[in-house]
Amino acid sequence: MTSATLGLAFRDASGRIVAALASRFRDLDLAEDSFADACARALEAWSREGPPRDAGAWLYQTAYRCAVDTLRRRRTEHRFAPELQRNAIEEQPMPDEWTPIPDERLRLIFVCCHPAVAPDARAALTLRLVCGLSTREIARAFLLSEPTLAQRLIRAKRKIAEAGVSFEVPGPEAWPERLDAVLSTIEIAYGRAHEDAAGSGPHFNYAAEMLEITRVLAGLLPHEAQTSALASIVRFAEARRPARVDAHGMMIPLADQDPSAWIEPLIVDARRYLDQAVSLHPHEPRVLQARIHAAWCARQSLAEPAPWREILALYDELLIVRDDSIVRLNRAVALAEVQGVEAGLAEIETFGAQPLDDFLPYHAVRADLLCRAGRREEARIAYDAALSLVATSAERLWLERQRAVLTE
Amino acid sequence: MQYMLLIYEDERIYGPDRENPAARERRAQHVAYSRELGATRLAGSGLKDSTAATTIRTAAGKQTIHDGPFAESREQLAGYYLIDVPDLDAALAVAKKVPLSQNGAVEIRPLLVPLVAG
Repeated sequence: MTSATLGLAFRDASGRIVAALASRFRDLDLAEDSFADACARALEAWSREGPPRDAGAWLYQTAYRCAVDTLRRRRTEHRFAPELQRNAIEEQPMPDEWTPIPDERLRLIFVCCHPAVAPDARAALTLRLVCGLSTREIARAFLLSEPTLAQRLIRAKRKIAEAGVSFEVPGPEAWPERLDAVLSTIEIAYGRAHEDAAGSGPHFNYAAEMLEITRVLAGLLPHEAQTSALASIVRFAEARRPARVDAHGMMIPLADQDPSAWIEPLIVDARRYLDQAVSLHPHEPRVLQARIHAAWCARQSLAEPAPWREILALYDELLIVRDDSIVRLNRAVALAEVQGVEAGLAEIETFGAQPLDDFLPYHAVRADLLCRAGRREEARIAYDAALSLVATSAERLWLERQRAVLTE
Repeated sequence: MQYMLLIYEDERIYGPDRENPAARERRAQHVAYSRELGATRLAGSGLKDSTAATTIRTAAGKQTIHDGPFAESREQLAGYYLIDVPDLDAALAVAKKVPLSQNGAVEIRPLLVPLVAG
């Protein structure tokens, strides 16, 4: 087994095992450290004896033993060990080869996304513990230095331990509050993956993890429209990934993407989740967002007109349940296509620039509409504003091309 | 686990001597809530107005006595509950129902060393 295959095997097993250990021992650090110990032992043992039949089960048993050893050691070191730790050691039979690894990932997701955890740490913690991404990978995705991100993870884990965050999945009465924190966290995490338009960069595995985590969540909470809707959104978005940049790495706007390059099986999968969500709650914000994605992905070829009217109608509906500047901006884009550039511009100008000044899409959309309205000088200023904000290289290339066309 | 619930409110709404109708109404609510909590509540009380507060500040090892609360802010520490519950979610559930005016906050802090009953 090469170290790369080993790495993959470890990551595959990681979320499930860390989650099972964490909920058994109620200790995130112990779970993580024991899994790391088990991986280290696997490296040694598997290269000597060859890999076991069931790598996951082997890692789970070993990690479980490491955790129990650590607790025993701690108990000898501190004679006043908490009651919980003693129970953990003595009342639980050791797992053997036939013990299935309990799937406690949902529990762990709710722990990582507890509202008592700092919002900027929730996504990172979920990616680390549930998806098994390395600190380095997460730091890169969040444009943070590795030590900064590591600090953030340590603080969040300490908070969970010291504040007494429960390792239970909350009851349905608490879901409106708790589930939204979970879904928003995943949206943030996915947003980071999606920003890298080419998808060949550091986020490649990361997007795969998002498919997996939304699948798990939708499977575990099948009666929540929002979980199916999110699984659907992530699939529609991932399906379009191959068409999102051209050969030079430049971003291609959605309406100009060639539908034949989209990944059909992912679209089929996305529709299945969408049907489920629509049957539960067709007008919930995330369901409407998924329906917008579906409208785009229904397009068969570039020869077919873009579905702007349908998109506008869906944004009208979305605006009623989620009135924020991002929805308004997207609606303005559709409005400009259906009712003309002036209508779109007029809509944007009602926002008042202040709150969106740091929001790249605002400047990019405004620049495009100004350009099409023939207001070239204002358009150039808006492109400059967009370019002054941090953008991925694909977006930057596209914005620069648009601006260059303007001055020709 | 034991948690301290620290209640922060703009104390001006209760009048200088905590005897106006708003204060009396809130006090009655706290009495009722304490009864409802039963054994979950280990201790708790409202605090006198922050004008009654005295703060000892220590700087570079030297102590000075000041009139007034530690932090000057629109909301002041107005009271506390000490509760014993299984976990943070249970503490949050208790804290959410603490009687409060329209604006205010309840800070939830686990005790470092649990209070031994009796």
